[in-house]
Amino acid sequence: MYLTAFSSSSFGKWILPGIGCIWFLGAYFLLLHQGMGEEPALVDAFFFTLFFLGGVLLLDRVFRHYTPNRKNGFLLVIFPLLLSGGLVWGHAQLLDWWFAEESDYLELLESSFLYRWIFLGVVIQLLAVLAVVISKLAGQEELSRREGQLLQLSKDAELAQLRQQLQPHFLFNSLNSIHALVLASPQRAREMVLLLSDFLRGTLRSEGQSWISLSDELKYLSMYFDIERVRFGHRLLVEMEVALEVESLKIPPLLVQPLVENAIKYGLYGTLGEVKIRVSCQKEENYLLITVQNPFDPQDSGPEGIGFGLSSIERRLFLIFGRTDLLFKSAENNLFQVQLKLPLTA
Amino acid sequence: MIKTIIVDDEPLATGLVSEFLRSYPQFEVVAICHDGFEALKAIQLFQPELLFLDIQMPKITGFELLELLDSPPAVLFTTAFDQYAVQAFDAKGLDYLVKPFSEARFAQAIARFLSQHKAKELPESVDYPVSEERSKRIVVRVKNEIKIIQTQEVSFFEAEDDYISIHTQEGKFLKKMTMKQLEESLDPDKFARVHRSFLVNLQQVSGLEPYEKESYLLRLRSGQKIPVSKSGYARLRQVLGL
Repeated sequence: MYLTAFSSSSFGKWILPGIGCIWFLGAYFLLLHQGMGEEPALVDAFFFTLFFLGGVLLLDRVFRHYTPNRKNGFLLVIFPLLLSGGLVWGHAQLLDWWFAEESDYLELLESSFLYRWIFLGVVIQLLAVLAVVISKLAGQEELSRREGQLLQLSKDAELAQLRQQLQPHFLFNSLNSIHALVLASPQRAREMVLLLSDFLRGTLRSEGQSWISLSDELKYLSMYFDIERVRFGHRLLVEMEVALEVESLKIPPLLVQPLVENAIKYGLYGTLGEVKIRVSCQKEENYLLITVQNPFDPQDSGPEGIGFGLSSIERRLFLIFGRTDLLFKSAENNLFQVQLKLPLTA
Repeated sequence: MIKTIIVDDEPLATGLVSEFLRSYPQFEVVAICHDGFEALKAIQLFQPELLFLDIQMPKITGFELLELLDSPPAVLFTTAFDQYAVQAFDAKGLDYLVKPFSEARFAQAIARFLSQHKAKELPESVDYPVSEERSKRIVVRVKNEIKIIQTQEVSFFEAEDDYISIHTQEGKFLKKMTMKQLEESLDPDKFARVHRSFLVNLQQVSGLEPYEKESYLLRLRSGQKIPVSKSGYARLRQVLGL
């Protein structure tokens, strides 16, 4: 891990050779100090350095693919211990063979075995800990980068949802209606401006996650219907049936409105002649039942086509209530009906 | 007098266009229609020279209406949908008014129409890029009725001179268009051009049998058989993953 981390910078590629040089010089002078001849000390220190660097590379390989976790953290101690033991032993075997005739040297080599092991062991152990720490840090950096991406994504999704909610087609056609009304009927133009403003304010408001009262949602819906009636007054009929006892109940935002939008889309925009859209709200046992009914043309879209836009509501229902059995769709006799079943908490 | 028809599903929108038109006495509004069906009848009846046409309308869109006309009049599109500006079909219009539009913008469109009307030449069309969206339905005219055919219900298309005959369970329908236009508008995963004059719905294929040397016959669920050319066979193998 640290190798990959270090070697990425221009500075990093000097680290390993640098450590090797220091290691080599340190070992060489230490061995000289211990009374070893110049030649054996040079050879010994050279191979010792090679073995050390080999061990570092091996360690890096191992921890790059496998980071010990809390459960098998003991590996972090055992592995460097065994590795350094193996390295020192291998080094001793090699030099034993190299200087087979120099008994003075061999004696010194044998007596230094334990010291070498301890020293190499401590260094490799430290490096292993360093490797794990660096890899953890890198992992965390990756994690926070991903979190940032996720945040960006959800912001994008929110924006897209807002754009969807604002329905440019609806908005511009409404503006066009006002445009037409200004001269022909200034009073109605004013009404339409106010309706549209209140409607847009409602759209922006319902961004939050807090629940709203059913009567507020219905007020909002009737604004929506009023605007559509200005546009299509000659053929839109709305029937709202609301039981008194449910008006004060609280519901999650953005559940009923898409149902009504769907009804308008297929009922009003999709068929000819007079269109009747029915909305009814009533209490049944521990549920609030909200039903939206609209005519549709099965030839044109088919019931699957109609229900398609409702999948986001199903997803929201699942997120809020953890249930998938709260939305019912039916399409009979050119009438499409959606029923929302909201569990009443408290 | 220039005979004009205004088509929009919103009464206020048609009202606005006729109000703007009042400043141009040479135009006579002979009909105001609120959907494609009414519009088709009115166009056949009055043979107008200019059409104000909304795009998004119930049942059939403005583009689909245009496809049904043998010799469409000059068209000024009016729509709130900006997206159609970039993904319109290859429908030909003189100009494209995005709602809400100003009186000055309207005057521009009228001037554009008048300059070409005076020159007595066929209106030069604004080019619209071909839609990326694959069409799921085809609108045809049967005498004076409009018929909407879902492409999935078509078993195959056959080229007949300037027309395409559309074969479905209900029978055969004719539409004026080229094989190339048709092929481009259909989903290439669902329809394959197996022959110069034949395009089949892959879901309707029930078998393939060798015919003469290097040519095949495609059997359809309806029992009909369709010739497959050599290159058509290669294309078929590719889409069916043979």
